[in-house]
Amino acid sequence: MSYREKENIINIFSGLIITAIYAWFVYQRHLEGRIDLVDDFQAWGKLFLVYAGISVVARIIIYIVFHIINAIVTHNTEATHNREIPPEDERDKLIKLKALRNSHYSFVGGFMLAIIALAVGLPSYSIFIVFVVSGVVSELIDNGSQIYYYRKGV
Amino acid sequence: MPTRNIQNNIRRLRFDADEMTQQQLADKVGVSRQTIVAIEKGNYSPSLELAFKIALVFHTPLQDVFSYEPVNVAAKKKRKS
Repeated sequence: MSYREKENIINIFSGLIITAIYAWFVYQRHLEGRIDLVDDFQAWGKLFLVYAGISVVARIIIYIVFHIINAIVTHNTEATHNREIPPEDERDKLIKLKALRNSHYSFVGGFMLAIIALAVGLPSYSIFIVFVVSGVVSELIDNGSQIYYYRKGV
Repeated sequence: MPTRNIQNNIRRLRFDADEMTQQQLADKVGVSRQTIVAIEKGNYSPSLELAFKIALVFHTPLQDVFSYEPVNVAAKKKRKS
């Protein structure tokens, strides 16, 4: 398995784990009555901003741990660094671009679902839940597409 | 997957160039070894610039490295094999 494929698998799992833990944490606070997710849209705004910050910090930590483990497992030294972690070339860029296209399509689909949810009379907070789910799904599609293109060709 | 209609002779050219490794070729043209593997397998059609760089490494014209067959001919060949 190439370095890029491993990187995408790490991205998929880290994205799922971070989102699941944060969602569980927020839901517990909602059950305790410390935040109101039904009517308080300002709370949703704050939650999204905090989630963005936590997600970035957690990913940096996960990447550092991944690089250390990868270097130990592959016996990666400074001399072999470029072979184990090759610089991004034109194929990598094309794959990223196509995966990003797929990811954007799925997020737009999620956005439309959120609008439809509002139109059919679902509660207003459902738009935020659909946003979170479509964000996670589009990230899965981004990383999944990259793995697919790396394996099957582009 | 789309039918690939660009063939290449990179494997043979590497063999003729003192069994040049994929990593050596990758280093010379500035891409990863995985990209050379994908090109050799026909899973990736390189940009014109990269194609010229590869041809330059082997000191040979571009048409000796890559060849093009129309889609229907390539599909027929694939079905026969």
